Amino acid sequence: MKPGKGKAVYTERDFIYKFNAGSQSFNLTVPLHFPVQENLDHLHGRLMLLHDLPCFIEQDLKKSLCQFVEEETIKDFDREAEQALEAVRSGEVDAGTLANAWMKSYTETTLEHSRPEEPNWDEDFADIYHDLIHSPASETLLNLEHNYFVSISELLGERDVELKKLRERQGLEMDKVMQELGKSLSDQDVNSVAAQHFESQQILENKWSTELKQLSTIQKQEYQEWVIKLHQDLKNPNNSFISEEIKVQQSHLQESTESSRSLYEEHGQLEESFTIHLGAQLKTMHNLRLLRADMLDFCRHKRNHRSGVKLHRLQTALSLYSASLCGLVLLVDNRINSYSGIKRDFATVCQECTDFHFPQLQEQLDVVQQVVLYARAQRNQKVKHQQDTSSENEARDKVKSSERNQSNLLPGEFYVTRHSNLSECHVVFHLCVDDNVRSGNITARDPAIMGLRNILKVCCTHDITTINIPLLLVHEMSEEMTIPWCLKRAELVFKCVKGFMMEMVSWDGGVSRTVQFLVSQNISEEMFYQLSNMLPQIFRVSSTLTLTSKR
Amino acid sequence: MPPLKDAKLGAFTFFASALPHDVCGSNGLPLTPNSIKILGRFQILKTIVHPRLCQYVDISRGKHGKINFIMYRSSMKVLQLAFEVLQGLEYINRHHMVHRALSPHNILLDGEGHIKLSKFGLYYITDHGADVDFPIGYPSYLAPEVIPQGIVKPKDPTQHERPRPSGPKSDVWSLGVILFQLCVGRKLFQSLDIAEKLKFVLTLGCVDDIVTVLAEEHGCVEVIKNLPENVLTLLRKCLTYHPSKRPSAAELLSSNVFSAVSSGYVPFRQPASLFSSALRCADLDLPEDISRLCEDENNDFLGERSIEEVYYLWCLAGGDLEKELVSKGIIKSKPPVCTLPNLLLEDGESFGQGRDRSFLLDDTTVTLSLCQLLNRLKDVPGEAFYPLLGEDQSNVPHSGSNTELSTSTLPLIIRERDTEYQLNRIVLFDRLLKAYPYKKNLIWKEARVDIPPLLRGLTWAALLGVEGAIQEKYDATDKDTPIPTDRQIEVDIPRCHQYDELLSSPEGHAKFRRVLKAWVVSHPNLVYWQGLDSLCAPFLYLNFNNEALAYACMCAFIPKYLYNFFLKDNSHVIQEYLTVFSQMIAFHDPELSNHLNEIGFIPDLYAIPWFLTMFTHVFPLHKIFHLWDTLLLGNASFPFCIGVAILQQLRVRLLSNGFNECILLFSDLPEIDIERCVRESINLFCWTPKSATYRQHAQSPKTAGDCNGMNKPASGFTVDYQDSTKTDLGREIIQLSELKSEVSPRISAEDLIDLCELTVPSHGKMNIKKTKSSKPKLLVVDIRNSEDFNRGHIPGSINMPFGSAFTADGELVPGPASATLQSFKGKVIVSVGHVSSNSAEFAAHLVKLGYPRVCILDGGINKMKPTGLLTVPSPQI
Repeated sequence: MKPGKGKAVYTERDFIYKFNAGSQSFNLTVPLHFPVQENLDHLHGRLMLLHDLPCFIEQDLKKSLCQFVEEETIKDFDREAEQALEAVRSGEVDAGTLANAWMKSYTETTLEHSRPEEPNWDEDFADIYHDLIHSPASETLLNLEHNYFVSISELLGERDVELKKLRERQGLEMDKVMQELGKSLSDQDVNSVAAQHFESQQILENKWSTELKQLSTIQKQEYQEWVIKLHQDLKNPNNSFISEEIKVQQSHLQESTESSRSLYEEHGQLEESFTIHLGAQLKTMHNLRLLRADMLDFCRHKRNHRSGVKLHRLQTALSLYSASLCGLVLLVDNRINSYSGIKRDFATVCQECTDFHFPQLQEQLDVVQQVVLYARAQRNQKVKHQQDTSSENEARDKVKSSERNQSNLLPGEFYVTRHSNLSECHVVFHLCVDDNVRSGNITARDPAIMGLRNILKVCCTHDITTINIPLLLVHEMSEEMTIPWCLKRAELVFKCVKGFMMEMVSWDGGVSRTVQFLVSQNISEEMFYQLSNMLPQIFRVSSTLTLTSKR
Repeated sequence: MPPLKDAKLGAFTFFASALPHDVCGSNGLPLTPNSIKILGRFQILKTIVHPRLCQYVDISRGKHGKINFIMYRSSMKVLQLAFEVLQGLEYINRHHMVHRALSPHNILLDGEGHIKLSKFGLYYITDHGADVDFPIGYPSYLAPEVIPQGIVKPKDPTQHERPRPSGPKSDVWSLGVILFQLCVGRKLFQSLDIAEKLKFVLTLGCVDDIVTVLAEEHGCVEVIKNLPENVLTLLRKCLTYHPSKRPSAAELLSSNVFSAVSSGYVPFRQPASLFSSALRCADLDLPEDISRLCEDENNDFLGERSIEEVYYLWCLAGGDLEKELVSKGIIKSKPPVCTLPNLLLEDGESFGQGRDRSFLLDDTTVTLSLCQLLNRLKDVPGEAFYPLLGEDQSNVPHSGSNTELSTSTLPLIIRERDTEYQLNRIVLFDRLLKAYPYKKNLIWKEARVDIPPLLRGLTWAALLGVEGAIQEKYDATDKDTPIPTDRQIEVDIPRCHQYDELLSSPEGHAKFRRVLKAWVVSHPNLVYWQGLDSLCAPFLYLNFNNEALAYACMCAFIPKYLYNFFLKDNSHVIQEYLTVFSQMIAFHDPELSNHLNEIGFIPDLYAIPWFLTMFTHVFPLHKIFHLWDTLLLGNASFPFCIGVAILQQLRVRLLSNGFNECILLFSDLPEIDIERCVRESINLFCWTPKSATYRQHAQSPKTAGDCNGMNKPASGFTVDYQDSTKTDLGREIIQLSELKSEVSPRISAEDLIDLCELTVPSHGKMNIKKTKSSKPKLLVVDIRNSEDFNRGHIPGSINMPFGSAFTADGELVPGPASATLQSFKGKVIVSVGHVSSNSAEFAAHLVKLGYPRVCILDGGINKMKPTGLLTVPSPQI
């Protein structure tokens, strides 16, 4: 029986065929399983062969075999149908629930019977934006976005200055207090001053973050209104207002380009690209890149590089609602917030520019937190259900899950945030890892690796064609990460990703992708080249086309 | 395949239900996506052709499991309608299908006012609705038994039971409802919502006369009362609550309700297909006066082509199904960034992803516009649709238009995409194939230009000479009884060309299994070797709906190209094959051969899967097709040339690499340019003397009775060396060890004579019609000592006595003879001596020095002596 077929009831019945040859009469009995799955022509051929039947009964046997099967099948159908009807009549199955099940099924799955769609602001905006960004108006849009970006930057600059001033002042104050310590002031006094400082810092920070939030909200609202207006205006061309505005914006841009030309330096980025072919017979081409860079470089706008910013902005903006997205993997701990480590850094980067399309990071995280709780509840319910029906085997699992905080993530799980304001990516996968990834002995079955696999799967289902992965599964290097540790880890990740990419071909039918492996900035150049030598050994790098080889 | 006439193409689309994340089947492999399963099951629908049914033409699978269909659709009285619908139903029932979604908008009318059922295959291809999320059928027309059977109570995780399949009688109920509506002229249950409708239908079980109750419910008792008696009887019969008492479609058709109408219909007979054993012209009905056929002034030539062809051309002319559906608003997809999930757990379950409305079923069928195609083809003259295939074979009908002639010089890839060109080719091949086997020679000739992809399956069968009662033979082969090979087959199939949607579908696997088992069972002296599955794949792919033909093609292919490769002990065959192959490498590319021999990279290490599967294991299907289009035209030694051509594409990399890198290179063969490979292998083939690839274990010549003159293609290109009659000048059997010791191939005296264009007085039968230009130039090097040489030698040969030809370090001793040899470098060089070992060694030296195309005369000079061709040079003065 095929897998997933469920229980199909098979009944065996005998097909009896009588025929005469000369003076002798024969009986042929064939046990058949109903419903008959096999091809009757084949069965007939087999019977003729197996029993060495004379050819003069061939046609007749075929006819009666077909007739028998047909009649019995109809009888089976009828009997089952009658049983089902009887169950309804006797009240064993409630007609009402049955009818409701059908209704539900129709309303949920067919357009004809489903409720009309409520207009969705986000999607309408997405359509409009996608249209505009692929039109001559794109430049205007980007200029506007840039202007907003500049004003946010200014605000952030002010904030930094003020915070710095505060800290300096507090430092001085603290120094004074420390000098007096043991003389006129006690430990308690020092503590209270410190607490006071901390509090005033907090207040200031809060003030600024509120201001920032407000500004972003205003910007977003203005922007969206403006985009909609622009779209409407472009629809009826006899409105000249917008075209004038475009000009104004342009001149403004040129001015600023010239004024803010300054040095741009690549801080020691190393990069190596490979083209590979995957697959035994049908080969799909993919691009791999090994980079020594900071993960957040893909998010940060390079403030000094004026033309570069615009270039990336355009590219990222063009593909925002398209079917070729960019994503990156961020390794986070098990709490969903942005208080510490890379999470905090990422949140800072997110604030540098207003997201005009998606909710702010914190709002998205709040939603994720809700979803996590919901998912846990669902899971527990399911586990409970299984326990009721099956053995106690799952009990251990349930205890384990109830022990820990329901709102936290487990290693290998990840949440997804969407951004339109990052420099080179649209989607961020926050993959939860634990301290285990720092140890040297993780395997291909490690949750972090499985998480990577799921990330690649989401990439398949949601058209994310470029993905950045931290090769060593850590963002910061530390003492225990020796050269052998790095090589071992890189090999594991390369091999696993290769395996997953081969799998992906069966998921999406072989879309060409770009996978970028990132290693931390503080890795040595020599180490980098060791890794870049390893890559072509694991992936089969495609051959270069040699034009000189005539034969 | 019926002609298109005034029919239109329609398209319709739905989503297959997604599988739960990461569930594996019992064999440990990932489950097949539902859309692939549907795709596999769909194929059989293409063969369901009946005047009462719309024809299914194609299915395609979009991104993320979306399925698009092409259906052919067209544009009375109640009884007639009922009768015609029942005809259609009866036909699909006979194919073990149930419509389940019968409703007025699935009953279409064609141009002549006859009905055609559409969407009849939906229930079947979705495995009784299991592979899709939406219920199949329309609430008003569901039969009572379908209601409790056809749905699984949702949101009940304990219940894994699937809905029970509905029987064919449920369609009869649906028909009853439709007829009732037709009689009373209004829709039933219009005021009720779905749940109420269904509940109402279920309550009908308790009433005596359903028709009256329905009439009362809808206030049309009067209308019903006034209906003719037989219509009322029909209604009562259809609308029988209990399925056991309800008649089936077949029973209804033969009941006396229809006695008045049934006489007007002739029973439908499936037209005989190309390779069926029935007489193809049995139904041919020529009018008394042939000239009346010409009177039919109809300019719609395209309309006379089959639906399948028209759809194929529509695609070539830029028809894009998905785009068409998008533009009609049937496919609405949201930007992917908006549909991302919020959270994924470790086992891959995702959360926070709203239900996408575009996944809902939209039941509309879109009519595809043929305008673009008609526009493209408006300049194609009518004659192009009816090429004349006269007796005169030199006058191959090239439909004459300049565009076509210019197209035929373009690369194959472009020709295959060109609408007009393909139209011409398809029409031509269609007519030629209809005349098979009578026009076999012409098929061969045309196939050498190219083969239209649409007709590739049949053309290959014709090229392989498939004939006879293939279906009956296949049916009579036992494909079900378990055999020991089953396990191996079961392991191999899920690994064979699975990137292809058809071959990876469960239906495809089942067909694979049957065809392979049939082959194993019917060839008791041969065994299943891994690789047979790959070999089967192209045939199965091309003849997916005709297993018998796939099987017949495979049976014809294997003895021709892989004779005895599938013996239980095939080592001697393979060894000989590989040795000849390495000789061919040395013959065509001495430098590469020297390098490979030096690093010990022998063909045994890489070429066995090439030849055992005829390259089907190495290349994806689309490349195999192009390769085999030519391979099938060549003889059994053509694969050697393909092998050499592949090596030559990798030449630079092989030459610069050592053993380990070569092994790695071949373990994952880089992309090969297949068109170049084909071109080069043809070129290599032309340079190869026929007898150079002689193999003792090749298929022995057929008996004369086997190939009567008509079947035999008249071309030296295609005739096997083994096929030609043996003469004493042919090659003699040598031991494998001896063969292995020789670097260069031997050629027969016959070939030598042929190549030198010597006339053989005693052998009048020699074929000397060959034009000079088509033959390679050659040089005969006589390595006997000069005395023997002067006593008689082959005309035009030069003398280089073996003992003094080479210096100690293997260079040629300079002299006039070696200068001549030098000037002939690149031409065929035949080394002739007394003893073969000497000439073999001489040849090996030349190969070492990088001389290509070096060969040895089999049997030495002694072979030539009896021919009387040796000349004595005039004494030098």
